[in-house]
Amino acid sequence: MSCCENNIQIKETVRSICAEFNNDPNELIAILHKAQNHFGFLPKEVQNAVADAVKVPASKVYGVVTFYSYFTMVPKGKHPISVCMGTACYVKGAEKVLKELEKELNIKNGQTTSDGRFSMNTLRCIGACGLAPVVMIGDKVYGNVKPEEVKNIIKEYVPNV
Amino acid sequence: MGSVNDLENFRKELASNLKNTEKNKVIIKIAMSTCSIATGSKNILDYFNEAMLKQSSSYRIITTGCTGLCHSEPTVEVKLPGSEPVMFGPVDVKTAEAIINEYIVNGKSVDCVIGRN
Amino acid sequence: MDTKQLKIALRNCGITDPENIEDYISGDGYAALGKCLSENDRKQVIEEIKRSGLRGRGGGGFPTGKKWEFAAAGSDKKYVICNADEGDPGAFMDRSVLEGDPHSVLEAMAICGYAIGSDEGYIYIRAEYPLAIKRLRIAIAQAEEAGLLGENILGSGFSFKIGLKYGAGAFVCGEETALIRSMEGKRGEPVMKPPFPAEKGYMGKPTNVNNVETFANIPAIINKGADWFASIGTEGSKGTKVFALAGKVNNVGLVEVPMGTTLRELIYDIGGGILNGRKFKAVQSGGPSGGCLTEKHLDTPIDYESLKAAGSMMGSGGMIVMDEDDCMVAVAQFYLDFTVEESCGKCVPCREGNKVLYQILNKITHGKGEITDLDKLKNFSEVIKSTSLCGLGQTAPNPVLSTISNFYEEYYDHVVNGKCAAKQCRALIEYRIIGDNCIGCGACKKACPSEAISGEIKQTHLIDQEKCIKCGACIKKCRFNAIVIE
Repeated sequence: MSCCENNIQIKETVRSICAEFNNDPNELIAILHKAQNHFGFLPKEVQNAVADAVKVPASKVYGVVTFYSYFTMVPKGKHPISVCMGTACYVKGAEKVLKELEKELNIKNGQTTSDGRFSMNTLRCIGACGLAPVVMIGDKVYGNVKPEEVKNIIKEYVPNV
Repeated sequence: MGSVNDLENFRKELASNLKNTEKNKVIIKIAMSTCSIATGSKNILDYFNEAMLKQSSSYRIITTGCTGLCHSEPTVEVKLPGSEPVMFGPVDVKTAEAIINEYIVNGKSVDCVIGRN
Repeated sequence: MDTKQLKIALRNCGITDPENIEDYISGDGYAALGKCLSENDRKQVIEEIKRSGLRGRGGGGFPTGKKWEFAAAGSDKKYVICNADEGDPGAFMDRSVLEGDPHSVLEAMAICGYAIGSDEGYIYIRAEYPLAIKRLRIAIAQAEEAGLLGENILGSGFSFKIGLKYGAGAFVCGEETALIRSMEGKRGEPVMKPPFPAEKGYMGKPTNVNNVETFANIPAIINKGADWFASIGTEGSKGTKVFALAGKVNNVGLVEVPMGTTLRELIYDIGGGILNGRKFKAVQSGGPSGGCLTEKHLDTPIDYESLKAAGSMMGSGGMIVMDEDDCMVAVAQFYLDFTVEESCGKCVPCREGNKVLYQILNKITHGKGEITDLDKLKNFSEVIKSTSLCGLGQTAPNPVLSTISNFYEEYYDHVVNGKCAAKQCRALIEYRIIGDNCIGCGACKKACPSEAISGEIKQTHLIDQEKCIKCGACIKKCRFNAIVIE
């Protein structure tokens, strides 16, 4: 993650991303997707730089960032965990899996562990309802997850001590 | 393609190629949609790609999208030359091995056959 | 296996290689586009779609041909948009079509472009569908390479290009005016209709928006004819519908059935019945805008009008089956939680009203409900439905209204008797030890994280209800069926 880049570097990177989209304000969402891909999240500095480049008020950029749940202003963990809370997962017990994860990682939904290894959020249906309940860690999808399996799944991402 | 005629001629060519393939080759279709991949279809694809190299039968492996049979993913459909396609699922490496050694090589039936809609 | 299915929109899914355009062409791929360009003028194409009786598969059910006709008027620059912002929790039809047969959607969009006089189309797709995005990109590049998209398609003089736009996780963007604003880089807030997108849409230009499944039907209609399509289905609903069958059903999966198939056929014949032999309780269709139907509705034929009359709706095709272990009040609360989160906040009835509904439901599931709350729920629901700006708010109370009307006794049980029959609402259940069965082994006592269980070895144990946090750890450890939930 490049969260330590200084402000000048941030501006530079944002400027080149915006230029790819001709600094077109209609492409704001595409620009933010790309920026979030690069920085991992969209802090105030990045939003200001985007606003400068595409010549819209920073409030507008902020408005868009906060409107869409895909965009985040806090850094995610190295292994972002998403618990699907779609209806199919809900009726198959996703809530219990979520509770177990919260207990196991000692964080609440929406938070990141203090060592930055895991972050957790819920999302609304990744369209794998056939495998409900579903948990995603990074790009990997875990299907038919039972609360008692949570411990072992987490272990895959923790280096052996 | 510069005209509708070009398209139709191309289609005819492709269709006759396909007919030939179906006549002479074992066709193996492996579903590769988000749900299939989540249940391990990538491993199954790798397995078939590798294991079929050692077989003498000529074959074509086709990756497809969702079969709709989420309850039985990963699914594999095998069509032997001159017979109807048969759908297998859920397939793991062990059943994949049986599909090749029993069904493809000897034409014997294997457990885990599911119907085709 | 099941002959009750009929695949039109899913005709190539699971059959052809989505990353190989030759696989698509070797069937009848792009034949419909070729036919339109060489044999039909624009009006004939629209006429054919109108005659087929195809209606929008995204949920609204508006006649597709009519929509095209509106957009075709005028000679301005126009846009074709494919709505692939599949946000209904519990629905994955669009993802499957895009992952399994992307070319059919591209072909249909080009046909639409030809019919309404547009040279530019966009697919607005969820960023959460990386595989579908990848396959669409490949398909677009292959179609351009083959001269089936781009300038002067098949030498006809007609040009059409397709681009992708990404959603960013906002359910309301499935609403077409919100979707268009999102495509323009704005917050996805809906605007008043009229003007309809057909008059003033993307970039202020006439725009036609159709859903993925709607588009996937188009090439088949052109190839096989409107009469063929119109011969399938019921009086008012022609063709087939794809459903994502999920929840407590044996054969979870994606199915496509002719309109008019009954819910019973869908759940029992195709779905293989209820999981673990449990008892069927309800089926939810239409996502957060739909309703829960019960046993008595199982013989309802699936079409736009019948489902609506029964108190639910077609929706985009999510079909969630629930059994006796699901609490309907909690289910309504689950949907309201979703709507409260996803309301864009622009209009008051939706932003504030749904919050009130959620709070009342929350009160009920926590054992603090009163009988007057049930009337309040109904009244608030009606106001929200009739005064909200867009489809999201207008339909948000449906899960509440349908569960109250179909499961009134369950609500009543919660507020008057303080009971949750499904044993889902923690505040309304108690764990108890049956003295006759308990041998005093102490396993439960050890498992209890809150030290709520007391008792000497070989003596009947007891749960202190004050201390019990209702986690269920004890019941898992007991090997003598001595602990029950009441």
